[in-house]
Amino acid sequence: MHDHPLDLIAAFADGSLSDEAEARALVESCPECREEYRTQTEVIGWLAATPTAEMTDLEKAALHRDLWTEFRRQPGKSPATPWWQRLAYVAAGLFVTVGLVSVLNNDTLNGGADSGANTTADGAFDAPTEETPFVAQGSDDGESAPEMTTETTAAATATTAAAGAGGEESFALPFAELAEEARANQADRALTEGTDRDVEACMARVALDEHVVVDEIDLDQIYLLVMPADPEAEPIVTFVVLPRCEIVYVG
Amino acid sequence: MTVPGKEAELLTRVVSGDRDAFDAVMRNHEDRVFSVCLRILGDREKALDATQETFLTVFRKAGQFQGRSAVGTWIYRIAVNTCYDQLRRAKRRPSESLPEHVDPSDPSAEEAIESAALRPEIEAALAELPPDFRNAVVLSDLEGLSLPEAAEILGVPIGTVKSRVFRGRRLLAKQLGNQIDQ
Repeated sequence: MHDHPLDLIAAFADGSLSDEAEARALVESCPECREEYRTQTEVIGWLAATPTAEMTDLEKAALHRDLWTEFRRQPGKSPATPWWQRLAYVAAGLFVTVGLVSVLNNDTLNGGADSGANTTADGAFDAPTEETPFVAQGSDDGESAPEMTTETTAAATATTAAAGAGGEESFALPFAELAEEARANQADRALTEGTDRDVEACMARVALDEHVVVDEIDLDQIYLLVMPADPEAEPIVTFVVLPRCEIVYVG
Repeated sequence: MTVPGKEAELLTRVVSGDRDAFDAVMRNHEDRVFSVCLRILGDREKALDATQETFLTVFRKAGQFQGRSAVGTWIYRIAVNTCYDQLRRAKRRPSESLPEHVDPSDPSAEEAIESAALRPEIEAALAELPPDFRNAVVLSDLEGLSLPEAAEILGVPIGTVKSRVFRGRRLLAKQLGNQIDQ
């Protein structure tokens, strides 16, 4: 059979011809063409009956986890800073400046107080407050806060200051920021005293206890290691899919 | 379905390290990419590896996307090339595939594997096809892509894809006929 009739008949079989007259005539008049048409139609039918292959939930979760891990490792790729966070940094900077100016003015008026004392700005960074309990984590340990925490602290402080100025109630950091902060600060402390109600409720359901260690957090999942009673046994990798608070064991 | 312009915008954000954008791109295409890989490679573990490798390449090369095709077409092209690479590596280092198994802790595993399974004879016949024919048949008849889309993904003219699809079907029928006779 020549190539042309095959193309025509095969296209006729899968319904891709705009004008089927010639193909139909060929199939009706030519036994070989008719056989080819039958073959093509049969194979198309077999293949079309097969549903799209899907990954299992576990396979998808493992894929996402591995990709996120790799995503974070890529050099030169830092998360884009949302505009509102940049604005918060600017506001924090202004707040610090105003605070410093005010303190310096007070120092001048009072004849030079101890410059080593915590300034208002330092105090805001160091002192834990009810509005920013998460910020308190680093402070409680007596360690100097890492740079990212300082920036987030500034944002949180600015946010709190703004809220306070407006007379509004303070609010906990949204989970996205919590996750970002926790990842930078080795997650454990963030979760054991979590500030986000959704995270707390979910973790309560997971029954977080001394045998469960937080391994990683990303925006959608918290990765846990469940330590078996036998110290020789491998820890069990578990993660919680946060939107549904669903526990998935990897093993 | 994601609007094409929106997808291109997501890729631009991926370039600047936007994780939400990468997450969206991944979730939009992971099922189709896995399906294509599974049909081409015929092995679940290899398909999962190829899927991961595909999205890593998408992430690394997002900056090279020029918008000449749809983002999905570009991604599936990467997937097919990734599968080609795997097949070439497997040829150089042939190894026996582990049998498919269901993870007892994954309740969705059995259903997923059963629903994705081709009839064994079709799967065997597909595996016997030359890779070029197999890929064309997979994209066109299994994944339901149009011939122009398949041509773009495979990087060949439409006429070439058409010919490969048609001949691939014929070879499949012949393989299946041989299997029935045996």
